[in-house]
Amino acid sequence: MATPVAPPQPATNKSQMNPLPPSVFTLPQTAQLEALYTIIRSKETSRGDFLFYSDRIIRLLVEEGLNHLPVVKKVVETPTGATYEGVGFEGKICGVSILRAGEAMEAGLREVCRSVRIGKILIQRDEETALPKLFYSKFPQDIASRYVLLLDPMLATGGSAMKAVEVLIEHGVPEDRIIFINLIASPEGLRTFCTKYPQLKVITGWIDLGLNEKAYIIPGLGDFGERRYCE
Amino acid sequence: MPDEIPIGQPNRTPTPISFQPKKNTLLVSHGRPPWYGEDGHRISDAFVVGIAGGSGSGKTHVARQIVRSLGSIPSVVILSQDSFYKHHTPEELALAHASAFDFDHPDSIDMPMFAKCLSELKGCQQSNIPVYSFTTHQRLEEPKYLYGAAIILAEGIMALQDPGLRELYDLKLFVQCDSDLMLARRIKRDVEERGRDVDGILEQYLRFVKPAYDNYVLPSQRHADIIVPGSNNTVAIDLICTHIRRKLQEQSNSFRQKMAIPHLYASPSGIMIPECRLEDLSLTILPQTRQLKGIFTILRSRTSSRQDFIFFVDRLSTVIMEYALQYLPYSSRTVTTPMEAAFTGKVMSAKYVCGVSVLRSGGALDRGFRRVLHDVPLGSLLVQSNSSDGEPLLLHVMLPVCVRKRHMAEETWVFLLDAQIGTGAAAFMAIRILLDHGVKPEHIIFVTFLVARGGGISVLRRAFPKVNIVTAGVDDTMQEGRLDGSQGEGSSGRQVWAMMPGLGQIGDRYYL
Repeated sequence: MATPVAPPQPATNKSQMNPLPPSVFTLPQTAQLEALYTIIRSKETSRGDFLFYSDRIIRLLVEEGLNHLPVVKKVVETPTGATYEGVGFEGKICGVSILRAGEAMEAGLREVCRSVRIGKILIQRDEETALPKLFYSKFPQDIASRYVLLLDPMLATGGSAMKAVEVLIEHGVPEDRIIFINLIASPEGLRTFCTKYPQLKVITGWIDLGLNEKAYIIPGLGDFGERRYCE
Repeated sequence: MPDEIPIGQPNRTPTPISFQPKKNTLLVSHGRPPWYGEDGHRISDAFVVGIAGGSGSGKTHVARQIVRSLGSIPSVVILSQDSFYKHHTPEELALAHASAFDFDHPDSIDMPMFAKCLSELKGCQQSNIPVYSFTTHQRLEEPKYLYGAAIILAEGIMALQDPGLRELYDLKLFVQCDSDLMLARRIKRDVEERGRDVDGILEQYLRFVKPAYDNYVLPSQRHADIIVPGSNNTVAIDLICTHIRRKLQEQSNSFRQKMAIPHLYASPSGIMIPECRLEDLSLTILPQTRQLKGIFTILRSRTSSRQDFIFFVDRLSTVIMEYALQYLPYSSRTVTTPMEAAFTGKVMSAKYVCGVSVLRSGGALDRGFRRVLHDVPLGSLLVQSNSSDGEPLLLHVMLPVCVRKRHMAEETWVFLLDAQIGTGAAAFMAIRILLDHGVKPEHIIFVTFLVARGGGISVLRRAFPKVNIVTAGVDDTMQEGRLDGSQGEGSSGRQVWAMMPGLGQIGDRYYL
């Protein structure tokens, strides 16, 4: 008697980085995840497909990120009159997107977390110092009491992400209450970031080969914000 | 939906068909009960009646009278030989338009195609029958899809002529009528319905119709079981219907004993059937993460708001669908990124993919399905259980083209969506329908929120071991009881098999 084929076992994305820093979590490396990345990476892909398939990955990343939030035991009564020992979600959350590409992840976040509050942060390179500089930020007032999902699709050098975390910490958010979500990370960026903020959890969909001389991720997918909004 | 005409409510007394039954159309009076046993195999073929007789002898009338007299029948189709005229060459077409083509010779009929379609329908498969236009004298490009008849009435002047066809009949009738009456009827019909002129009709009659009748049609009456008079035939039709009813009764007696209905699955006290251990069911269960447990807690709670219930059903269905997608086949592909770097990844390699939701509650998975597969067809089946005995009834079939066409169905991967597998009766029927159409069992991915371990899943698994079943959770038992807060379907607190602890009637909570 034939039994259904067992699904491919979830593997961690370790080919570029082994071992992974303990605070880094990747999605199960299924064939279908590879297929999603194959579509969004191809330069032939239309904008419509890029939007649809990157949204699917973002939802998977957000679902994974939410699993790192605490839950409390909760007992409910079902419509059939039985009791069920489940869990309740604990703690308030908010999203913070790093402009401009991070905004592209907001739709996916809101599909999973209905009417979640979303803060924004704009960081650009200071032409004099060549260091990332905060240009703009707008957060929910009570951000210090919330878990923060920090959204930026690409983690290249990690410069702007680290600057964003610095700003969040200044606003009173503890490091271990921030979850950084991105689609593609470079090994060097990940290493720098995790060394500076070891308590902060990073959810990444894929770890790529590395950076080129212009600090773009290779093979990457080009400029995420550009492909999503401008091309 | 001209294909099917469901009449009346499934839970009430079936209404007899009271209109002029159309040809080549599935006529349904009250839904189709299971046509398969607990092992998943078909129990009996459809009952096939062949009706021959001269042109204008009243074959169609006899067929329609039989449909009327049978009254409450699950599903019947009148298949007309006219559909099977061959595809014509330009020369033949010119002859046909000049009323000089011999439509009455056996060679004008595509007998192998007729026999193929009839044998598909007899074997409870779908059939795509050709459509012939009498106005253009040509077979049309698009065939007509038929599926699910329990009784087939095949009528035509040559219906008893071909040995291949004769083998398929359970009952063979010949309608006997006087030549002058037949000619009179023929003239009336061809003028009124087919727009011909009388001279053309008479010429055609003397040149082709009469010789064909004498040489081929009339001699074929020796193959008939019963000769039916072409007029004043009430008694004959009554006898025929009595015979058909008795034959169907014999079938359904053996049928009911083996039928896959809920009481076979779980004992009335709700005690689990001992052999169904979770590991034997080869279910694919979603990783039980904190978020999943939290979502289930909201869905299971009777006090959750409607808004929350709908939102979390949509969110959960998206998660399950993403997980279920791993059962599609993938092959390797290399692409170039905008950085001009190569990336070797995967591409989904199934030729056709579609979804089929088992209404009503399977519709709760539609949103998630669409978030993940936005550009594939999504068909539906309406299966309702008969409240008196829990027997599932098939009320409506709307399948994607890639399932309707058998050669495509073999290469189609189907996501079958239903909210939960409790008794398994609806799931059982839905899978059987896909298999009838030629979908491979290993290409079926059943996607559901909840499976009851003590319910029909073990029978389902034994019958269809190769079907993939992806579920978000598993409950232990089934209990018979009244469902709290249930509305709709015109009942107050339905007697149902409920899953424990379960999450109530998902369809009611999602839609009402």
